[in-house]
Amino acid sequence: MRLEIGNFHIQDVDFGETTVFENGLLTINKDEALRVVYEDDRITDADIVIARPNDPIRITPVKDAVEPRCKVSGGELYPGLTNNLVPAGTGRTHVLKGGCVLAVGKHWGGFQDGLVDMSGPGSYQTMFSYLLNICLVADTNEDDENHEQQKKNTALRLAAIRLSEYLGECIRDMEPDGLEVYDLPSPNELEDRVKELPRVVYVLQLQSQMIENGYNSLVYGWDARNMLPTLMHPNELLDGAVVSGSFMPSSSKISTYQHVNNETVKRLMREHGVTINFLGVIVSNLNVALEEKQRSAMRIKQIASSLGAEGAIVCEEGYGNPDTDFILAISEFEDAGIKTVGITNEATGRDGRSQPLVDLSIKANALISTGNVSQILKLDPMEVVVGELESLTRDGNSGGWDGSIKADGSIEMENNGIFCADANTGNHFKTVVEY
Amino acid sequence: MQMANIVTIAKTVGANRIVQTVSIPHPLGDPNLTEEEQWNLRRHRVGVALDGLMQEIEEPSIFDVTI
Amino acid sequence: MKKAIYYLNQFFGQIGGEEKADYRPDIQEGVFGPGMLLKNWLEPDIEVTHTVVCGDNYFGSKKDEAVEIILDLLENKTFDVFIAGPAFMAGRYGFACGEICKAVKETFNVPVLTSMNVENPAVEMYRKDIYIFSGGRSAATMRKDVPTMADFITRLLAGEETLSAREEGYFPMGIRGETFVKPPKMGADRAVEMLLQKLNDDEYETEIPIPKIDKVPIAPPLADLNKETVALVTSGGIVPEGNPDGIQSASATKWGKYDITGQGELKAGEWETIHAGFDPSAANENPNVVVPLDAMRHFENEGKIGRLYHFLYTTVGTGTSQAEASRMGNEIANELLEANVSAIVLTST
Repeated sequence: MRLEIGNFHIQDVDFGETTVFENGLLTINKDEALRVVYEDDRITDADIVIARPNDPIRITPVKDAVEPRCKVSGGELYPGLTNNLVPAGTGRTHVLKGGCVLAVGKHWGGFQDGLVDMSGPGSYQTMFSYLLNICLVADTNEDDENHEQQKKNTALRLAAIRLSEYLGECIRDMEPDGLEVYDLPSPNELEDRVKELPRVVYVLQLQSQMIENGYNSLVYGWDARNMLPTLMHPNELLDGAVVSGSFMPSSSKISTYQHVNNETVKRLMREHGVTINFLGVIVSNLNVALEEKQRSAMRIKQIASSLGAEGAIVCEEGYGNPDTDFILAISEFEDAGIKTVGITNEATGRDGRSQPLVDLSIKANALISTGNVSQILKLDPMEVVVGELESLTRDGNSGGWDGSIKADGSIEMENNGIFCADANTGNHFKTVVEY
Repeated sequence: MQMANIVTIAKTVGANRIVQTVSIPHPLGDPNLTEEEQWNLRRHRVGVALDGLMQEIEEPSIFDVTI
Repeated sequence: MKKAIYYLNQFFGQIGGEEKADYRPDIQEGVFGPGMLLKNWLEPDIEVTHTVVCGDNYFGSKKDEAVEIILDLLENKTFDVFIAGPAFMAGRYGFACGEICKAVKETFNVPVLTSMNVENPAVEMYRKDIYIFSGGRSAATMRKDVPTMADFITRLLAGEETLSAREEGYFPMGIRGETFVKPPKMGADRAVEMLLQKLNDDEYETEIPIPKIDKVPIAPPLADLNKETVALVTSGGIVPEGNPDGIQSASATKWGKYDITGQGELKAGEWETIHAGFDPSAANENPNVVVPLDAMRHFENEGKIGRLYHFLYTTVGTGTSQAEASRMGNEIANELLEANVSAIVLTST
């Protein structure tokens, strides 16, 4: 299965007459772009704002991030959600690299929404401070949700995907700067020298704790809560088979942008045939009953064992009770002789002295830490706020509280509320050490 | 007595007397059951919990439930 | 220029040997013994203004008195950092360095630090409270141990970022905090490289050491539950409609107690969950699925329990750190003990 990702590196973004990519500059016809946004009647008021790295801009509440892309051949983007249900992961996909569409609430935020600072110390926290952000700032008529702490953010999340696809269209017929090729043959087609390398699987535990539809991560448009763990070709993931949900404190979430840019999977693909024999991605979930957790862990182990895995990396989208799924998967693997590395964030408390995970096992002896959700951040006022700063304290953001916003506009918050900051897909260079 | 669904976490944080519950969002109920079935389940598991308070144990223990 | 005060025992403070070990604490201007070395390494950013000297036996046998005298001696002094030792393997000296550093930190809220050998028993006693640099076994390593401390103090007082305990060379204080891998290295690369090391049976170091699991003493069983008062406590965020105490929906630092006198069950609309970590629909429809008041009343009426305590205790257990949870648990337990409650049914979500 072969996927070609054609990259078009953006140097800057601006508004203009036509939406076009030329000499590194992405020009956006704002009116035309907003017409795509307004295709959904639920969007009542929308604007597009550009936020560049090092700008004095604070963006919140951010609901999802989507990379501007175009499927040139071999399928459709986000199949089963915004497009037809067809297999993902083959053919050619064009990408406006370095650009990112952020779905931003004009007013309303919630538990699961995040904050991005484009400059200052807060900008180290998340990978999204390093991108050219095309912020879709919008209000919707989903009024019943305005005062709910848990929001599905459906209209805005889908609008961001439509906008990203609209932008991606302008590079459909162009020649990319460079081509990344992801080609992982089926086991019977492997060369003998590759067959001798250690066999490795990657496990992606998706957020699926909500019982009602509309909050959980989606796999080909299907609520991850409803599935048993399943084997996926890495290309499917890198080509949009998985879309982010709308639940979990923001720093622990995996955005749609990060799913298609999962750096751990990309690195495993590069190592395939060199140091390892990469068998594929096991997509799993994080449900809310112990039996469901045990069932998923059993299935993960069985799929990996049937494939003959000798090594595994397990990625957990979240913390709290999902630590049980994470520890169960690692324990099952280690018991089956599969050497495992886990990648997750921790909840070590504001003073850094608490137990890092709520569930523990000495079998989890190789872990990568991507952040402490309760790390306290004190951030100076920012000249420009895109969205509404009040949402940090008013709407139940997981990293904010009454008093998070100071009189001078500076803020004090927990890392919990920084947008997709801990990047358990391995896309960032933050970690936790002992002092 | 801790009544929890994720008993592995209860054990990890040092709980010694544990009764397992149905799930995280509805520990002592289940929207898929009738009101009467839910009441029977809740009464049973709380009863097991109270009995457990009177039992001598040597190590962290999960008391068995039947519904 | 910033100011430092230095602590030495009678030997390094040049008062005398074992025969002077009962030397009462005093303070003098300037530096003695290893203070010369420290002074040279701290200049020109920091000046060592005074030296406190105390006999090891005096400190060991009259700890409270020694601490009080020294704190008094420091009371009218201006200083930005307090340094003690190195104490190497010396047990009494190590204890004195650890204890006085801790007391100075608590009283004057300035950085404090010392240095000891890993085998000094005071390391385990004080490493969670103060910076203890890993030093040599004897004064032979003085010329290495003092500059290590001096370099750290200089950067610390200059407001520069300090590194992890291991990189700086002090014993880990048990405080985990975020940092950025330098040079930048993504989690993906760290994970794949750790996996390759593990697959090759090479050495690797986990980024999250698994702490020892807390063991809690097992409470003895109750003989006659029908004579006892039992309380309901929950981490499921069940509160009266409107959340009167403003308990946080995540990372809670508050708990509430609510009178349930005369209530046979928790009625929907009167009670709700404010817990943000799970789908609240089932709990809001029937709060008894999280706090089984109806079942407890049943057993109270049946006589299985003597009495249900008339307050329900609530907090939220999502994103709530272990430290906060322990504190709240302690506070609630103390109230319940005072109220002669002998058992708790704690429901968690």
